[in-house]
Amino acid sequence: MTTTTHGSFVIERRYDASPRRVFAAWADPAAKRAWFAEGEGWDIRSFELDFREGGTEKSRFRVTGPSNPFPPETTFGNETVFNEIVDNERIIFTYSMDRDGARFSVSLASVELRPDGSGTRLIFTEHATFFEGGDGIAMRESGWRELLDKLDEHLAAAA
Amino acid sequence: MTKRSTTHATFVIERDYAHAPAKVFAAYADPKKKARWFGGPDEWESAHSMDFRVGGKETSTGGPPGGVVHKMSGEYWDIVENERIVMSYEMHLGETRISVSLGTTEIRPSANGATLVYTEQGIYLDGYDDAAAREHGAGELLNQLEAFLNAEA
Repeated sequence: MTTTTHGSFVIERRYDASPRRVFAAWADPAAKRAWFAEGEGWDIRSFELDFREGGTEKSRFRVTGPSNPFPPETTFGNETVFNEIVDNERIIFTYSMDRDGARFSVSLASVELRPDGSGTRLIFTEHATFFEGGDGIAMRESGWRELLDKLDEHLAAAA
Repeated sequence: MTKRSTTHATFVIERDYAHAPAKVFAAYADPKKKARWFGGPDEWESAHSMDFRVGGKETSTGGPPGGVVHKMSGEYWDIVENERIVMSYEMHLGETRISVSLGTTEIRPSANGATLVYTEQGIYLDGYDDAAAREHGAGELLNQLEAFLNAEA
C-alpha cells in the first residue's frame, strides 16, 4: 500500500552579491556542482546540468562518513527538469529523489531573486510530495538550508 | 510588461466514486479513455496526446474557435498501478506561461468503490491565474471523470 504526504516550505536569504552573480551560481554547471553537489560527506558519482527551459539536471551520489544512516553502497539519484528560467530573476523546476532506483519524492520549487541594495534577496519555495520511505518535509527543509549556506560560502569565496 | 510575481497555493479535492479503483485508474492510464473526459468544453477545438509512463509527456491544447489557445504540457513523475499518479504540468495561455503545478492523484478502495484524492501544489505566475480558479477547473474535470465512468458502466 502506498503512502503519500505533502508539504511546503519557504526559505529567505540575503547574499552580498548581485542578482547576476547569484543567478550564475545556479546556471553554470561548474559553479552549481561546486556548492550544490560537492562537499564533505558526499561522494559524487555523476553530475550533468543542461540549464535551459525543458533541460535537465541529473546527479547520482553516495553519502559517506560516520553519521551516514544508510548502507555504504546506497546510491541516491536526483533528476530535475527546468520549467521556467528568467535570467537573473526566477527559476522554476521540478525534481525527483530516488534511493537505489526507488523514487521517494517529487517536488516543485522556485528560486526568486530580487535586488536588495548592493546584494540579492533570494526566496526559495518548495512544494514536496513524499512517498513511502521518503525523508519528509522537516529534513528536506533542513537540507536546503544547508545548501543555501553553501551557496553563500561559494559566493563569498568566488568574490 | 507585467511585473514578475508568484503566488503559491495548494488545494485538495476528495471524491468518492461508485467504481472500482482499477476502473478509475484506467480512465487516467488509457489515452483513449482519458481523451474522453479530460479537456475543455465540448465546443472547444482541442487536441490531446499522452505517453503514460514515468518520464512520459502529455499535452492538451484547446480553446474557443478563433480565441486564445490554452495549452497544458505535463510530465509523469510517478505511477503506481491502481494507486497513485504524480504529474507536473505547465499551463500556457497563447505564448504566456501562467502556472507550473505538481498534481498527485491517489486512488484507494472504499465501501462504495473508490476514493480519489487529488492534491495540487501550484505556482501561479505574474497574476494571470489563481488557485481558486484552478481548483474550480480541477473539480469540473473530476465531475467529467465521474460522468465518463458512469456512462462506461
